[in-house]
Amino acid sequence: MKLAVVVQRYGSDIGGGSELHARYVAEHLAAHADVRVLTTCARDYVTWRNEYPPGEERVNGIAVERFPVARQHDTRDFARRSSFVFEHRHSLEDEFSWLDSQGPVSPGLLARVERAGGEFDFVVAFSLRYHTAYHAARLSPGRAVLVPTTERDPALGLAILGPALRAARAVMYNSPEERATLEAVAATRDVPGVTVGIGSDVPPATDAGRARHRFGLANPFIVYVGRIDANKGCEDLFDYFTRFCARTERLLDLVLIGTPALTIPDHPRIRHLGYVSDVDKFDVIAGAEALVMPSPFESLSMVALEAWALGRPVLANGRCDVLAGQCQRSNAGLYYMNGREFEAMLEALLDDEAVSSRMGENGRAFYAANYAWPVIEQKYLSMFDRLTSEKPRASIEPRPPGWFARRRRRLPPAAAVVAALPTGPVRDRPESSSRPS
Amino acid sequence: MATDQHSQGNRRPHFHRGRRGNERRGDRRPQAPAAAEPARTDGIDVDQIVREIKARIAQRHGIDLSASQIQELAARRLEAILDPRGIKPSLLEQLRKSAGTPAQIAPVEPPAGYDFEDHTIYDSHNGLLRGIRKLLNPLLKLFFNPNPIAHALNTQAKLNKEAAKREQERERTQAEWNALHYTLVERLVTELSRTSIEAQSLAMKVEALSTRVDFYERRVRGLENTAQPAQTAAPAPAYAPVPSARPSGGGDNGATEATGDGARRRRRRRRGRRGPGAPDGSGAAIAGTAAMQQIPGDDEGDDGQMGDADGPDENGMEPVPAFAAAPDAPAEPPPPASVPQVVSEPQVPAAPAAEPVADRGPTGTPEGS
Repeated sequence: MKLAVVVQRYGSDIGGGSELHARYVAEHLAAHADVRVLTTCARDYVTWRNEYPPGEERVNGIAVERFPVARQHDTRDFARRSSFVFEHRHSLEDEFSWLDSQGPVSPGLLARVERAGGEFDFVVAFSLRYHTAYHAARLSPGRAVLVPTTERDPALGLAILGPALRAARAVMYNSPEERATLEAVAATRDVPGVTVGIGSDVPPATDAGRARHRFGLANPFIVYVGRIDANKGCEDLFDYFTRFCARTERLLDLVLIGTPALTIPDHPRIRHLGYVSDVDKFDVIAGAEALVMPSPFESLSMVALEAWALGRPVLANGRCDVLAGQCQRSNAGLYYMNGREFEAMLEALLDDEAVSSRMGENGRAFYAANYAWPVIEQKYLSMFDRLTSEKPRASIEPRPPGWFARRRRRLPPAAAVVAALPTGPVRDRPESSSRPS
Repeated sequence: MATDQHSQGNRRPHFHRGRRGNERRGDRRPQAPAAAEPARTDGIDVDQIVREIKARIAQRHGIDLSASQIQELAARRLEAILDPRGIKPSLLEQLRKSAGTPAQIAPVEPPAGYDFEDHTIYDSHNGLLRGIRKLLNPLLKLFFNPNPIAHALNTQAKLNKEAAKREQERERTQAEWNALHYTLVERLVTELSRTSIEAQSLAMKVEALSTRVDFYERRVRGLENTAQPAQTAAPAPAYAPVPSARPSGGGDNGATEATGDGARRRRRRRRGRRGPGAPDGSGAAIAGTAAMQQIPGDDEGDDGQMGDADGPDENGMEPVPAFAAAPDAPAEPPPPASVPQVVSEPQVPAAPAAEPVADRGPTGTPEGS
């Protein structure tokens, strides 16, 4: 079986969400299929500047073809177009302009996908909101397998995404919540789909004592791992934690791992370890009372899965449907909506060690059942087998004919479309569910 | 998807990702009935734990909204007040933008030819023509006097300039007033929202406190009702002996007081209320049990929230001791089966009926506080 993985950026030094997701999937599927990555020369997703040389190279044993990006990203133009299509009535042409502005626009990459024809059995395209994945899916009718990696942001309400999703041979979702949202917004119930997510290379054994000694972590602590950013809910986390410290005599530290994008409060109970190695990261998580995940926007939290894999409970932001849903389905974490709930949930985790360790065990079982790499690989392979045995569905829906039709501003604001979608965690659908076509 | 700690410096902003709460959220997804949920064999139900904790918080604190949530609420209320259907959206947007920023009014440039002097009527870009006009000026003045016209137009030009200046100033002031009004209205609505939430929270607290008061009243009535028959039925010698001439201040006075132990005095100090007809602990014991039976479900004081703590709760109220035995209970001798349970210290002489040791639990635990 030959697979093409299309992703906007690719490299061993790229740690972004869907890009890392694509690399992990490509590297693990390489054991079962001939995998070739088609990507751009961009390294930085803010500018899409061509930094890698075009041409073919191998990254961790995977063949990678790079194509130059035609133009760099114009942040102001993108902001203006985003504001327009998200907030105002607009046309299809406006949405396509938004997608072009989003980028990365790489004509060479798209020509390669179009030329490929029957060279690949399946084209696995990552991150639907990017120009590369959207057009790769349209150019590979009958072979495109989409990994949308969508969050609940206004871009989900764009009308152009629906036909691309419905034309895919299959959709690989990150979570039941993402699936429910896309089914509601793009009517993808008839498209074969499976909730897959992603695994992690968690070491079989960790040494929490070593991490405590190395970083001088004498007190019990909770840990946050990730970019320390207001977008990730860290401001609220600092606020809640400092208030918690002011109200209790309990010895508890908040340990932060990751690069700061905002000022970390100068508080004796908040420890910032900076960027640490994976070994240290796993050791620190293993020694923590719980992992705290304050982000309100996640399509899937890899660090939460890693904490569960290490048997630690998670304290998550309940505003993120995905995190709340995972906590509920796994019975391995608590979730909060505000400061008081944060404090109460944290105390509940700290006070009852039996419950806490039971949650950790539940998390370990949840990870093993749903997110261990053999499980992930098997889900992909089963889907490929199924698609091979089934006839392709109808081809992609054509664009509306006519210059004026495409420019008629009759589409509702994308933000309003998303705001009307159902919310909340999904409890009635197991993590690995798939629906027959 | 969240990944680990990898840096994403200079991150592209997420446009409109800051929308929270109901503004960005539609209806809740329908949840499957409990039977459809996966079986829970691990003994932990996270959803249940979260619900219980939330219920406890709601009971303790009432409504709890963060500052940003109050801002969101206020913004929605403000939109309702301003009613975008009746106001031009651009005007509303302009007001929002102008709030907090200095008014930027472009200076009005008077159009060319606004100046009018005495010589203006003879002006020309052609020098020759201008010269001929000057030469013929005396001739022109034979027919009419152009000076008043020139003067009037000159005055008018000055007036126009002043009017333009005033208009500009008025527009700037108006813009500042508009911004100020908008800011004021916005802040007032925010404060109103905060106040209404606090009022709602306080109303809930008042309701909780009145429930407690009701509970205590019923409990007192139960104690009183049950204690009276017990007083008439119980034989006098079996009552607890209490010193007859004890000063009200509780000081040591006389041999009998000197032998009274500290625990008893401690209990007397903690005693809150004396039942009118409950002469001893036996009646109180029965009364306590009867009260529990009389008002099933009235257990607000024993739910671990309001009465179980050792100190005053967040409302400043003393905890309500449980009906269960106090820690010092085992030290006291068990009462005879045929005699009502008595709280007594053997060395203390008999007490008059006027000084009962009332309102005690089955084992001598003070009931009132």
